[in-house]
Amino acid sequence: MPSELLKGLRLLDLTDEKGALCGKMFADLGAEVIKVEPPDGCSTRRIPPYLEDIADADHCLYSIAYHAGKKSVTANLATDDGRALVADLAAESDFLVESHPLGYLDSIGLGYDALARKNPRLIYASITPFGDRGPGKDYAWADIISWAAGGQMYLMGEEGKPPLQMSIPQAGLHAGGEAAVAMMLAHYPRQIDGLGQRIVVNLQACIVWTLMNEQAMPFLHGSHLTRTGVYFGSADARRKMVYQCKDGHISTLIAGGMTFGNSTKALIEWMRENGLGSDWMRTKDWISWVPGVFMAMTEQDYKETDELEATIQLFLLTMTKHEIYAQALKRRIFLAPVATAADIASDEQLKARDFWTAVPHDTIGRTLTFPGPFAKLTATPIGSTARAPRIGEHSDEIYRGLLGLAPERLIKLRAAGSI
Amino acid sequence: MSRFAMEGVHVLDFAWVGVGPITTKYFGDNGADVIRVESAARPDVLRIGPPWKDAMPGINRSQFFASFNTSKKGITLDLSKPKARELAKRMVPWADIIVESFTPKAMRNWGLDYENLRELRPDLIMLSTCMQGQTGPNALYPGFGQLMSALSGFYYISGYGPGSCAPPYGAYTDFIAPRFSTFALLAALDYRRRTGQGQYIDMSQYEAAMQNLAPALIDYFATGRVLGAHGNASARYAPHGAYRCADEDGNERWIAIAVAGDDQWRAMLAALGADCTDRRFANPPARIENAVAIDQFVGSLTRTHNAQELTAKLQAAGVAAYPVENCVDIHQDDNLEAFGFWHWLEHKEMGPSPYEGLEHRMSRTPGTPRWAAPILGQDNDEVFREMLSLGADEIEQLKKENVIF
Repeated sequence: MPSELLKGLRLLDLTDEKGALCGKMFADLGAEVIKVEPPDGCSTRRIPPYLEDIADADHCLYSIAYHAGKKSVTANLATDDGRALVADLAAESDFLVESHPLGYLDSIGLGYDALARKNPRLIYASITPFGDRGPGKDYAWADIISWAAGGQMYLMGEEGKPPLQMSIPQAGLHAGGEAAVAMMLAHYPRQIDGLGQRIVVNLQACIVWTLMNEQAMPFLHGSHLTRTGVYFGSADARRKMVYQCKDGHISTLIAGGMTFGNSTKALIEWMRENGLGSDWMRTKDWISWVPGVFMAMTEQDYKETDELEATIQLFLLTMTKHEIYAQALKRRIFLAPVATAADIASDEQLKARDFWTAVPHDTIGRTLTFPGPFAKLTATPIGSTARAPRIGEHSDEIYRGLLGLAPERLIKLRAAGSI
Repeated sequence: MSRFAMEGVHVLDFAWVGVGPITTKYFGDNGADVIRVESAARPDVLRIGPPWKDAMPGINRSQFFASFNTSKKGITLDLSKPKARELAKRMVPWADIIVESFTPKAMRNWGLDYENLRELRPDLIMLSTCMQGQTGPNALYPGFGQLMSALSGFYYISGYGPGSCAPPYGAYTDFIAPRFSTFALLAALDYRRRTGQGQYIDMSQYEAAMQNLAPALIDYFATGRVLGAHGNASARYAPHGAYRCADEDGNERWIAIAVAGDDQWRAMLAALGADCTDRRFANPPARIENAVAIDQFVGSLTRTHNAQELTAKLQAAGVAAYPVENCVDIHQDDNLEAFGFWHWLEHKEMGPSPYEGLEHRMSRTPGTPRWAAPILGQDNDEVFREMLSLGADEIEQLKKENVIF
């Protein structure tokens, strides 16, 4: 059961991979989400990887994950009838989210202005790679383009090798989440005055926002980072944050000061119990050691940091991620495993919180395990989701039930290739 | 018609660091009244994080803090003191929404948990967000978004191949979780309007972040396959990656390119003024199969081009391309400029500095960073006088006792 939170609201989902998460979020909270796709299925039905490497829509992992809880109707936007059906659906909807090339939906009578004339309550969000005004408004796009344009790619990777994208593309997911937030923001004034509005989501801006504290560096410090490899921070505050261990990597934050000093001391004490580390590590006043923040790094600091990082590396090589993480939790050390899906699947915390959710998939004759709700809501909990719909699975239900089309009309529309 | 979407909504913000303050920033930038409660006794760690105005550290000089705390009022209360907790409680009836992001025991120990606060306002909506959620054996896990990004699987998919780890910059999951928390709060606000019922929301940043890796997790549970890092290689595009362009002012420049079908492949070659008869690159599956060779080939073609000019050329030919921008570039980017993304706001101590705007724009009730982040305790006098009707003497006394602190 999805949550009851947004029960009674309807969202029309005309997005591809630039916004599929948006409709998923609405569905999780109980809205009716109708995915509108071409008769041969949306491009998101053909994104690898596939379950068991079976390359069809039913096994497309992206589709399985991000269309869960939605309904699917088909409409051929190249035909007048197909367009008219979508316009009629929009007249009955509270939200519409789309990610077509800018201006395409306007050109076929499905732009905001046309749809809002019939349904002034409609909140209509367009997800765009570069907004709707700049020289790049019609630019071709792939997820890696946003990663590069938003500055995250420049910072990811090692010197002497190319800048990197994450191996599971992320930009479209940020944009989908942003569209969901923006539409719910716009919903609030609509409940007061009954009027919807148009929203433009900008993918490039979504990735710039992930740069955290780095964006203003050129103005305030007159410098900026290049690819940081396994190091965190810049100049004097630079610290190694990824270490090898027996079966992979762990990440930790080594620093002094009020926030980090006790964690660093706990790690040094743990090494001491195992006969590693120098005396100075144990006697140093870590709580007041904050080079790069309130004091400059001295030659001594550099020497000590190098020695400490080398010692930690040596120490961690003898243990597995799991062993290290278990000790870190006990000793309150700022540390995490570089977790794989296998590590995450066996994590005790997620099990204790009953996070994983079983979702039966009659489409492929098996039950899949999904990540559970993104939040626990006391009054309106999010339960298990319905599986992703097959392409056009709900065409009859929606076109007959919601739009009142006669069965013979549906037969004709199908024959004409409109649905 | 209201000018801002969230006008009239009251948010009491006990949060700190990333996820909580970014959540309440959505409300503030959209016109809600947000009061951020801090304390000099335990300042938000971002207040001492770089960058600082003129590269000089100071509690009111961090743009790290400032970027996440626009459009809020700032007050100080040392909640370890009973008197401060009493003052905080007196503000609760005013609040539609309360957000906090301490490790779970803090608010409970102070008697400021949902069960206590709802007695002061029965329809209260309260969000707690922490690393791993309010319950479970690891609920008290201390950490930051960098560690969460490792724990929730993002570091493992970042690298050049098996055994390589090259993480994203910063506390990556801090920029995923706030959309889920804000979405949940906005939906809870609407639910309350319809039903009169408030509620408590427990958001684990771990659980929220993993929504962005759902396909890989579903795959693992079903098949045991562990999806990992594979550089910039793609199963859908080739070439796909970052390609070195001509250096500028002694600095490396790169361009990102993604090519899907044969038309785009030919368009790319034409734009680069190149021919290619290599049979390994004859069709899309062959190009994907030979991604390493194609990366070398394309890299050899782009090396003499200016990244910006090549982007314009490739895009004019319908090929997805863009310069790999650094933090200087993004401030000079024509597309972000046209979107009106950057805002120079006047801060009480820092003067003007650059703030990110919203990642969306609304036509009728557009939000915007309305004012710069508050300096520590900036709005103490106004808030305690007007909201709690404290006299100037009382406020002075409470400051002396380090209650308002």
